[in-house]
Amino acid sequence: MTWDSKLIDRANQIIELYPQKRSALGPLLYLAQEKEGYIDDDSVVEISKLIGITEVQVRSVASFYTMYKQEPSGKYLISVCKSISCEINNSREVIESIKEFTGLANNETDVDNTFTFEEVECIGACGGAPAVQVNYETVEGMTPTKALELCKYLKEEVPKVIVADHLQDKFGGTKSFDWAIEDNSGTSSTAPGFQIIGTSEEN
Amino acid sequence: MTENIKFTVNGNELEAKSGELLIEACEKSGIHIPRFCWHKRLDPVGMCRMCLVEVETPRGKALVPSCTTEITEDLVVDTESAVVTKAQEGILEFLLINHPLDCPVCDKAGECPLQDQTMAYGPGESRFVEEKRHFEKPIPISEIILLDRERCILCARCTRFSDEISGDPLIEFIQRGNKTEVNTFPDEPFRSYFSGNTVQICPVGALTSTSYRFKARPWDLKKVSSTCNCCSVGCSIELNTSQNKMLRILGEDNEFTNQGWLSDKGRYNFDYLHSENRVLNILSKEEDSFSKISISDATEMIKNKIAELDNPNIKFILGSSSTNEEYFVINEIANYLNKDKFLSKDSSNIYFGDDLLFEGYFGDQYSQAKLEDLDSSETIVVWAEDIKDNLPILYLRIKKAVKNGSKLIVFGHTNTAIAGLADFYFGKDIVSNKFELIRNPNEIEDLKNNIEGKKVTVITGKSTVFQKKESLDKLINYLNEKAELKVFNSFSKGNTFGALQNIDEVKGLNEFCNEFDTNAKNIVFTIGVNPVNSSYFSQKIKENLIASDFVISLDLFVNETTELADLILPTTSLGEKEGTVTNMEMRVMKQNKILPAPGSTLSEWEYLVSILNVLGENVNYKNEIEINNYLSEQYKNQEKVPTFDNLNKPSNLFGVLNKKDININIKDLKEDNFSLLMVRRLYGDSSTQINSPSISMLGAHKFIELNSTTAKKYGINSKVGNFIQGPNSILINIEINEYLPDDLVIAPINRRGFEDIDPSLDFNITEAKNREELNVN
Amino acid sequence: MKETLLLTKHMRENPENSHLIDVYEKNNGYSAARKVFKENNPGEVIEEIKTSNIRGRGGAGFPTGVKWGFLAEDEERYLVINADESEPGTFKDRILLERDPHQLIEGIIVTSFASNISKAFIYIRGEYAKPARRVQDAVEQAYEKGYLGKNIFDSGKDLDVVVHLGAGAYICGEETALLNSLEGRRGEPRLKPPYFPAVKGLYNKPTLVNNVETISSVPWIINNSGKDYAKLGVEGSTGTRIFSLSGHVNNPGNFEIEMGCSFGEFIDTFGNGIKENKTVKAFIPGGASAPWFTGEMLDIKMTIDDVANAGSMLGSGAVVVMDEDTNLVLAAKSIVSFFAHESCGQCTPCREGTTWLEMILERISSGRGRASDIDLLLDVCDNISPGLAWPPQMTTICPLGPSAVSPITSLMGSFREEVESLLPKKVLINND
Ligand SMILES: Cc1cc2nc3c(=O)[nH]c(=O)nc-3n(C[C@H](O)[C@H](O)[C@H](O)COP(=O)(O)O)c2cc1C
Ligand code: SF4
Ligand code: FES
Repeated sequence: MTWDSKLIDRANQIIELYPQKRSALGPLLYLAQEKEGYIDDDSVVEISKLIGITEVQVRSVASFYTMYKQEPSGKYLISVCKSISCEINNSREVIESIKEFTGLANNETDVDNTFTFEEVECIGACGGAPAVQVNYETVEGMTPTKALELCKYLKEEVPKVIVADHLQDKFGGTKSFDWAIEDNSGTSSTAPGFQIIGTSEEN
Repeated sequence: MTENIKFTVNGNELEAKSGELLIEACEKSGIHIPRFCWHKRLDPVGMCRMCLVEVETPRGKALVPSCTTEITEDLVVDTESAVVTKAQEGILEFLLINHPLDCPVCDKAGECPLQDQTMAYGPGESRFVEEKRHFEKPIPISEIILLDRERCILCARCTRFSDEISGDPLIEFIQRGNKTEVNTFPDEPFRSYFSGNTVQICPVGALTSTSYRFKARPWDLKKVSSTCNCCSVGCSIELNTSQNKMLRILGEDNEFTNQGWLSDKGRYNFDYLHSENRVLNILSKEEDSFSKISISDATEMIKNKIAELDNPNIKFILGSSSTNEEYFVINEIANYLNKDKFLSKDSSNIYFGDDLLFEGYFGDQYSQAKLEDLDSSETIVVWAEDIKDNLPILYLRIKKAVKNGSKLIVFGHTNTAIAGLADFYFGKDIVSNKFELIRNPNEIEDLKNNIEGKKVTVITGKSTVFQKKESLDKLINYLNEKAELKVFNSFSKGNTFGALQNIDEVKGLNEFCNEFDTNAKNIVFTIGVNPVNSSYFSQKIKENLIASDFVISLDLFVNETTELADLILPTTSLGEKEGTVTNMEMRVMKQNKILPAPGSTLSEWEYLVSILNVLGENVNYKNEIEINNYLSEQYKNQEKVPTFDNLNKPSNLFGVLNKKDININIKDLKEDNFSLLMVRRLYGDSSTQINSPSISMLGAHKFIELNSTTAKKYGINSKVGNFIQGPNSILINIEINEYLPDDLVIAPINRRGFEDIDPSLDFNITEAKNREELNVN
Repeated sequence: MKETLLLTKHMRENPENSHLIDVYEKNNGYSAARKVFKENNPGEVIEEIKTSNIRGRGGAGFPTGVKWGFLAEDEERYLVINADESEPGTFKDRILLERDPHQLIEGIIVTSFASNISKAFIYIRGEYAKPARRVQDAVEQAYEKGYLGKNIFDSGKDLDVVVHLGAGAYICGEETALLNSLEGRRGEPRLKPPYFPAVKGLYNKPTLVNNVETISSVPWIINNSGKDYAKLGVEGSTGTRIFSLSGHVNNPGNFEIEMGCSFGEFIDTFGNGIKENKTVKAFIPGGASAPWFTGEMLDIKMTIDDVANAGSMLGSGAVVVMDEDTNLVLAAKSIVSFFAHESCGQCTPCREGTTWLEMILERISSGRGRASDIDLLLDVCDNISPGLAWPPQMTTICPLGPSAVSPITSLMGSFREEVESLLPKKVLINND
């Protein structure tokens, strides 16, 4: 879909933050992802116009980074870490149980677009290994059973906003460190719940 | 000049300039270091790691890529140590593990750096037992280029070329790591005027051109150096033939001109040589059809016609693809035929078939520029026809100069392709829709600041047939007065400068039409030119040719012009004839012969010499060398005389000739409709391109350009429309170009459908109505 | 043995809400910033950092004061905070971002003052959405208070801070790749020389790139003194460091200690021993790129130099413990896969070699190995990192490629039998 004027205004505000337009490419790709669930061709065209580079240059950059999705993703992107600390703390079993529940292989999305499942490299939660992210909100101290419960919860409750602290409360275990007072911030898309200008919830 | 410093390679002391790259400095001393990603004309990236060598550092020996390492005083280098050899073998093995090794079906085999280096440095056999990376076999990434991603070794030469050199980054690395591939964006093919260069510099067979695919093996090729005649830059090329067929043209790295690059037009415009449409016999028109006749019958016929018509006006319209030797003979015959007729000089009878011919800035008060002057210019000023379309390699040279810090100032409304590079683009506030300079140059601050007291090169010429010389004069005089100025006269077509050098006086097509006396008896020679197509004056010329008593066309094809001829004398073309050409710097360069003249074709000079002889003027040039010797005579006072002999010596390949007097006689056009500008595009419907199947479709795209305000005036919102004039309606793409001033529409003069459009008449543009119509090229 | 709390003191003392500006200020926050504007000139601040002898906490351990001293003169200069923390095992910057963002911002203010910088970027890895929100909130609070923006602290100086999110690419932790990424390009490391972005960095302008922990240490150094800082730890490894402990320990987490104790002490004291009372088979002393130590090497001291002398590196300060039952081939494969996945793909040996290593390890670990695979593995490693020495020689542009070699040389060095046991026996053609 092409971008409406509101989105373009937001994009231009982001561009303003940087000494050179091209620097805004990353944040603009997140805008696209937030809106479409992936980096669609139309957004690439819009972005290329906004920052004055060619479409394939935008694609080249977008495809370099694993968080910019090249394919549409489900409502919940479940990322399970398989790097060393998680690997030796049984992340395989967590992976297996999620695969079993969702019926998905690595990097697949289910037919009703609920889940996208991926195995990922270290997400910086090694102290709470094995760890999982749902739409880039971290849950630490996972077990295969809790992973199943988490999936079930997502499938049945279909929460609109994903909040790390809530998921951790419900499904998490050992944490990498004390997370401080409960924090209600989160995300309502498969883009990380962070935008330089305007949070994702506003949109 | 930086001073030489000493460094040591493999125990031998060598010298190099400080800061020179190790790989280059070694090469100069005969030490070859293998490489893939490094290319002398591209910024080094040090990615393939093939060129690793050992250097001594305070912390012991270290492996460094020689393509990114600059020579420093007393650097100690080992290019052959065990560690180096092992590393290089390792790199090759890595490159080969995912390479398909489909050499038997690969175009590159036989001239493939990967293949060669595997022989020279590679491991014996593969230890890789896993499955190779797979991609869909060749995918077309443009109309003329194919990409085989499996063969790609990710050296980034093509992506760097298109980003750094040509400035149209339409191919890029996609994905990362082991999944990295080169590709285009789905709806944006690799449409670049320069795309063929990537095929030439690809070190494997990943990029191939549709025109050469599966045609030949390098070891079967016959090769000769020559000079491209597509525009007046005069790029150095290598012609590759096999079994008397031209199969490929490559760019040669000539430091002075093209530095290795070619436009796709220059590279791929050759299939016409073997087109079945080519005229291979002398044709004479009887009633409405042509029939074969012999050369003696043809010359007799000409002689008889001249006699019969009793002192007719004999006029010549010339194209730009003749050699200097041929222009010289044309000048002779024209003088001979008119020797009793015209006593004064300004009544010459030679017209040059280029709408944009103007009087130029020649003579002692102007210093003629060379291409290398661009590199040292502080400021480059352009007010001429569109450089990218008409002098594509000049565009690259300007781009390079700008990249290295020259300021670029562009005037006018037709040169918008270069506007993206310009520091200052002087559009409507400075140049009117009638192409007049509205403001005084010395009142334009941005101009003043970058001109006065600076080293400046100007590229000047007519942007459009309407443009009056007055405005150009104003600018050039200002520049000449205030700056250290060098001047390029932008005559972009092929060997225009050769024509100017060798013909006493040249006039334009406007003059031809004005001087044509329908009441008189007229004989017209057209030589390698098709003015009935793609000229502002097409309609008038057509009428005049029809009204002529006898028309003789020397040409390759039956086209809009030659079909009006009474006699067609089929000629030779690139690679089929020998001679010299003169480029826009007045540099004389050699064209060489590698193919036999097909059928009963002859070179232009051969016909003209025969005619002279039949007419009783005894001229006796037996071959091009003899003409060249005669022609070179006039330069004998110069240091370098461009004889075939010395032009063929590589060390002295390119002499620069001082101009002799150049006489161009052009009169300004009277005021006209200024809302439609018809400009020449690189690709069009020239008879050569239309008969070159591998690129003929590139000239099919019909489009107009206008700004959004003008589009609104015509009520256009979509990207497709109809261009309407009288009974003509052309389906067109509409491109919005905000560099254009209001009320100006630009259309290609050399594209199918536009030949019947008269720019001086009213026209209209409407939106295309039904969806099917939207499916235009 | 106890922690020494410098950087984590505030968050420990205010476990609920250390990230809020009021709480931070109540606990002496922004005093270092106020102090330098009032009392110091930039040169003095740089001197103080030099005196502290603090070395970069991003992995390379370059002396911070020296780096600041290199920063080339230019009207436009930038500060970039490297918060891309992605090295497996490392999660120490995350706590600093999430729990004490104002400490980082204060560090940025002081650093920018010292180096005359008016634009800073915090490049946070994309997976750190929550930490990024915390930092962004903190940045906005600081703007409101006039600590960022125009005329900060009424000093006449301006400072803008932009929080920039990465998007899933470990290589962007490498500082020049990070700069490319921040310029909206592919995160490919740049060629060296120039060796330091301080000469030619963001937009080709002089740029300081420092790790989160490094800059978070700055306020303490200014509030106390470089001398006091240098008194902590040992020579060459002054001050405290936050170590991330993970793997098979009972109590994983981040622990701030003075450098100098042994790994064994550290693991016992803070990790509360090994799960199920098992023994240590091997441990990684400094993040996934570091060569492993065996269980016999627990006495090595946790200093930059001691670890280096023993053939590895303290790197990003991540200690990963593997117990006696760990399948080390799978562990090595996990790390090699990581680097293969994260290779930017520019250099041939890294792009092709790391994937090849991964394929061979996959084959071995799934029982499809060949007798010749050990030699093959080592030779492929040698072609990425000639001589298999430490610190590595490299055929690549950046150290990522050679990082994939570390686990394999570790495995082959100390645990070769474990690999051999998975392979068919070599057929010996031997006559006796
Ligand atoms: C492959 C690679 C990954 C790196 N990742 C990080 C990282 O995640 N965070 C970091 O601060 N430094 C990382 N570094 C080190 C940085 O390049 C750089 O040295 C550091 O940010 C400088 O800051 P410091 O001097 O404060 O340590 C990495 C280096 C390499 C070669
Ligand atoms: S070593 Fe790997 S990550 Fe580093 S530049 Fe080369 S390909 Fe990229
Ligand atoms: S030629 Fe030097 S790295 Fe490729």
